[in-house]
Amino acid sequence: MAFSRRNFLKYAAMSAEGTMLAETPFLSAKAREKAEGGNVHYVPTTCEMCFWKCGLIAKVVDGEVVKLEGNPLHPQSRGRLCGRGQAGIGLLYDKDRLKVPMIRTGARGENRYKQASWDEALGFVADKLKAIAEKHGPEAVALFAHGSPGTYFNNLVRAMGSANVAYPSFSQCLGAREVAWELTYGQGPNSTCERVDLANSRVIAMFGTHLGENMHNSQNQEFAEAVGRGAKIIVVDPRYSTAAGKASMWLPIKPGTDLALLLTWINIIISEGWYDKEYVAKYTTGFDELKKSVKTYTPAWAAQETELPMRQIVEAVRDLGRYAPNVMLHPGRHFSWHGNDTQRGRAMAIINALLGTWGRPGGIWLPAKLDLPPFSENPPHPEEHKDAVVFGDYPFAGGEGLTQVLRDATIKEDPYPIKAWLVAGTNLLKTMPKQALTRKAIDKLDLLVSIDVMPTDTVMLADVILPEATYLERHDGLYPITTREAGIALRQPAIAPMYESKPAWWIGSELCKKMGLGEYAVKDNWEGRMRRQAKAWGIDYDELADTGYISIPGSAAPYITATNQPTFKTPSKKIELVSSELEDEDFDVVPKYEPIEQPKTGEYRLLYGRSPVHTFTRTVNNQWLWELKKENEVWLNNKEADRLGVKNGEIVRLENQDRVRSEPIKVRATERIRRDCVFMIHGFGQHSPAMSRAYNRGADDQNLITRYKVDPICGSTGMRVNFVKIIKEASNA
Amino acid sequence: MELTITGANAITFPTLHIWDWRVAIYLFLGGLVGGLLTMSGVANLRPGKVVPRDQPCCWRIPLIAPILLSVGMFFLFLDLELKSHMLWFYLTFRPLSPMSWGSWLLVLIYPPMILYAFAAVPDALKAKMKDGFLKSFANRMRPHLLKLARINFVLGILLAIYTGILLSTFAARPLWNSAILPVLFLASGMSTGTALMIIMARKNEVKLFFTKVDIWMIFTEIMILLLFFYGHYTSDAVHRNAIMPFFNTSHQFFPYFLSIVALGIFLPLAIVLKFLEVSGDHTVELSPSGKFLMNASAVMVLLGGLVVRFALVYAGQLSGYGLM
Amino acid sequence: MPKYAMVIDQSRCIGCMSCVVACKRENDVPPEHYRTRVLEMVSGEFPKLKSELRSELCNHCDNPPCVTVCPTGASHKEEDGSVQIDRKKCVGCKACVAACPYNARYINEEHGYADKCSFCQHRVRAGKQPACVATCIGKSRIFGDLDDPNSEVSQILRKHSYRVLLKGAGTRPNVYYINQFPKKS
Repeated sequence: MAFSRRNFLKYAAMSAEGTMLAETPFLSAKAREKAEGGNVHYVPTTCEMCFWKCGLIAKVVDGEVVKLEGNPLHPQSRGRLCGRGQAGIGLLYDKDRLKVPMIRTGARGENRYKQASWDEALGFVADKLKAIAEKHGPEAVALFAHGSPGTYFNNLVRAMGSANVAYPSFSQCLGAREVAWELTYGQGPNSTCERVDLANSRVIAMFGTHLGENMHNSQNQEFAEAVGRGAKIIVVDPRYSTAAGKASMWLPIKPGTDLALLLTWINIIISEGWYDKEYVAKYTTGFDELKKSVKTYTPAWAAQETELPMRQIVEAVRDLGRYAPNVMLHPGRHFSWHGNDTQRGRAMAIINALLGTWGRPGGIWLPAKLDLPPFSENPPHPEEHKDAVVFGDYPFAGGEGLTQVLRDATIKEDPYPIKAWLVAGTNLLKTMPKQALTRKAIDKLDLLVSIDVMPTDTVMLADVILPEATYLERHDGLYPITTREAGIALRQPAIAPMYESKPAWWIGSELCKKMGLGEYAVKDNWEGRMRRQAKAWGIDYDELADTGYISIPGSAAPYITATNQPTFKTPSKKIELVSSELEDEDFDVVPKYEPIEQPKTGEYRLLYGRSPVHTFTRTVNNQWLWELKKENEVWLNNKEADRLGVKNGEIVRLENQDRVRSEPIKVRATERIRRDCVFMIHGFGQHSPAMSRAYNRGADDQNLITRYKVDPICGSTGMRVNFVKIIKEASNA
Repeated sequence: MELTITGANAITFPTLHIWDWRVAIYLFLGGLVGGLLTMSGVANLRPGKVVPRDQPCCWRIPLIAPILLSVGMFFLFLDLELKSHMLWFYLTFRPLSPMSWGSWLLVLIYPPMILYAFAAVPDALKAKMKDGFLKSFANRMRPHLLKLARINFVLGILLAIYTGILLSTFAARPLWNSAILPVLFLASGMSTGTALMIIMARKNEVKLFFTKVDIWMIFTEIMILLLFFYGHYTSDAVHRNAIMPFFNTSHQFFPYFLSIVALGIFLPLAIVLKFLEVSGDHTVELSPSGKFLMNASAVMVLLGGLVVRFALVYAGQLSGYGLM
Repeated sequence: MPKYAMVIDQSRCIGCMSCVVACKRENDVPPEHYRTRVLEMVSGEFPKLKSELRSELCNHCDNPPCVTVCPTGASHKEEDGSVQIDRKKCVGCKACVAACPYNARYINEEHGYADKCSFCQHRVRAGKQPACVATCIGKSRIFGDLDDPNSEVSQILRKHSYRVLLKGAGTRPNVYYINQFPKKS
């Protein structure tokens, strides 16, 4: 675990005495350098191979980054890095990296660019943005972003007077979950990580959460700890994931019927009395109405609906009840499945409330106390010129915006034209469903700027390509890290940016200057700003730069005690089993089950997920990760394979309900999945020849997601609603 | 069972891929040279029926033996991945390492072989030689011919046995891990050596003599092969699986099946042909067809020796303990 | 002198492959070559399935066939219990690759010598854990000195039933496996 300041001082003293490295964990980059001697240089920083923000220590020898290791002081990594984190060197030294700013000379998609200097490229972008803002208003400039670069371009766009910013992580990922928990508890289950106290859980139930393939570092460490300790794992997933392999109970649920199971569980919890009566009485409202609403969801009915044995359905929830409150129904992560996802999230939040897990050991720990003054060195952003178009008609659309709404607005030019997209750190073509629409929107643009590290499909459509420096070459932060405690972390370069790449903060800042918005630029450089920020927050920047993470004493208060009571920012100030806010908007106050469309025989619901060595398209070209998993396969039930006459390893194509065909993909005939669905890892099927290793490997699932169901409450795009057929290669024309 | 392995090395997965035709050829030549040394020893030592000392069997063979062995060693050298370190073989001796034994044996065998070659040079040839070191050395060695022939007779057997010893010590590769393997390679070495003697011999009696010897060699070889397969078949599952490629007609294993078929044809056919010759009348004239048959059967034996080495080197790498 | 060994708690392995990558970066293993690997074995028929995750590496055996067969002494057993390769002496004959029943070795094609897991001897001597152990997300790999009765590995082997791979091969390996399957309470 992370060390408190007191521990730090104690260990620092020991280290000064020269105590052996073996016994003392990493405390200080400088101390370790001194102990090892030679030309070695240690740089504590923050990883961005995915978005978990692990603290790492980069080992640099003679100006070359030779090894990456977890920072023992940082709670997201705890001294360990996953395979992607270890392979960061493969990104840094990938010869296919974007190296030089480029301006398009051919038509979009023709892949003809000329190299440009930064001055020229930034001038080009600034001039175009100014022109667009003049002609159509600043709101015609929009930003799609993911990861750290977003901050700097958000600043630019808002400085211009536009509020059209959308982060795919809401509508294509966890938006519905956040909204569901906010409606119930007043806040989501997420801090820097999901606040799941897995290490102390006695029973962990997961719906589709595929820890072990979803490689979120510290959460997996705790999951493994729970498994190693003998915690009971219950996995509800149509596919036998790695997590299912650890489970004492695997419920291969019929896709789309999760809510049926959840509502039945609520019914059993209430009717059999598994709920924490004191907790429910003290902290929740709406119990009686909830009890009435779920009466119809019986185990026998659920067994029919979910195609699960009734015995399993009942045993699983009884296990949760038996060991409550030290149990966990995992909130999930990627949540946008079928279009009714907020309600599904509500059911999961409700179950946790009934079992009393919020604020209890093994459940959801209470957020760390963090009270930092906001820090800015720029004037406040101007009021947006016009209302943003990123929220649509969805009353609970999150502040991150809805990407598909922004896209549709761009296509329709309604309520006003959107003529420029900045795309930073997201492979938009592979991220958003209905790729044809994304293309259509792009065709409407006068300017598409891509700020990225690798030449992805989206980047290779841009009018201007701005090569960002990798996370190992730049400053970012300061990052407040809230886990069980709060702390501050930073990112600082291990080596100077290679080629002509530049950190995103610099790109954003220079664009501000060129746009005549110099007051929104960075005063000197990002390190300077971080130093001043640290000072404002009472943190010693040099100490932070030496250790990578500084813990804030007294910030941890994970469990409910007599003196540590939870607060709920709901209208009733209690956990709302029945949601008053949903009532105000005429939505079901308690989730109701509606069956969804199911595939016919010979059709399979397309399911997608992760690989532990990849972060979707970000890593598929990385030598050290690519060689471990070069392509994806389509998981198909053995009996279906036999029925179709398809063999394991055979190359096929998938064709969906809209007659869209995938690239060729290998079949993985397996027992590990139901007969009515197929599964593939997301992130393959790259068509950019500039990604030499990833080019044309595997198939792109997003290409097949031409249909999605939008959640009416929050606007997230449910993407697991496409049905595919298997087309044998021989019958391909 | 669904197995996914992340991090397998191509050199060992799905099967071992370390040794190829270079090693197979070396093994063949090693066995052949062993057979040549032993059989030419026989030629020089036989009491009774005298093989004139100027016959090819007596002197050409000892001369080409070191050359053939060097060719084999060259192929072996080609197989080394770090050739520049080759001297390390000879900077140490590892008593437990069969490869160390082998590397020293292959070097220490040269002096007796070369002395033997010199000793066997016939007078007629010496007469045509120029006066000089070679001629005088040949003269000096001649008195020791019989002693050298005996030494090389033994060395030939040791060499042929050795070619099988290294492979047989790999417990990790069940197909090779059999006590019969060195015996098989001995029999194969002897029979191929004898076959080459037949081809190189000029006099009919010599050809006939070695044909008779070869019949026994091949017969022994067939018996040993059968026992080799039988021994694996009646051993544990791992050993039984090790011989399966030979009896599997699927596309993947067809070459191995073919090799069994070839051996099953070459060797017995060779015996039959030889038998026909032996039982015929060959006192003075060997008809052209007869000569052809004799040489053809010898060639078959040589091919059979190649097939045995290639098949075992490649099939052995398919065998292993599999999933642990 | 220490006697180094590794214990692998299979139930804690989640197949993240971090060990595979960390080892490669730490030891400069060439592309497409590996010193350690992870096997995932799923058996049974839907929906009654069972999964086993197992990482494998050089076992640093006490009776190492690779050392016995090496003609130059390049492969040798060291006093700390590990089996190492002296690259100076290796001729690349590949007998050791053939001799290892665990298929732990490979040839470094760029230089020609045989290579394998070294138990990160350079790290261990500096007081650190081997790279795979240090990064293991599941804390599935535990490394230590069997000659120290208080070391974690010694304690684990006293408390748990364990197995080794290919016990019958007589290699006396020093990698021990516990908890082949997760405890399913």
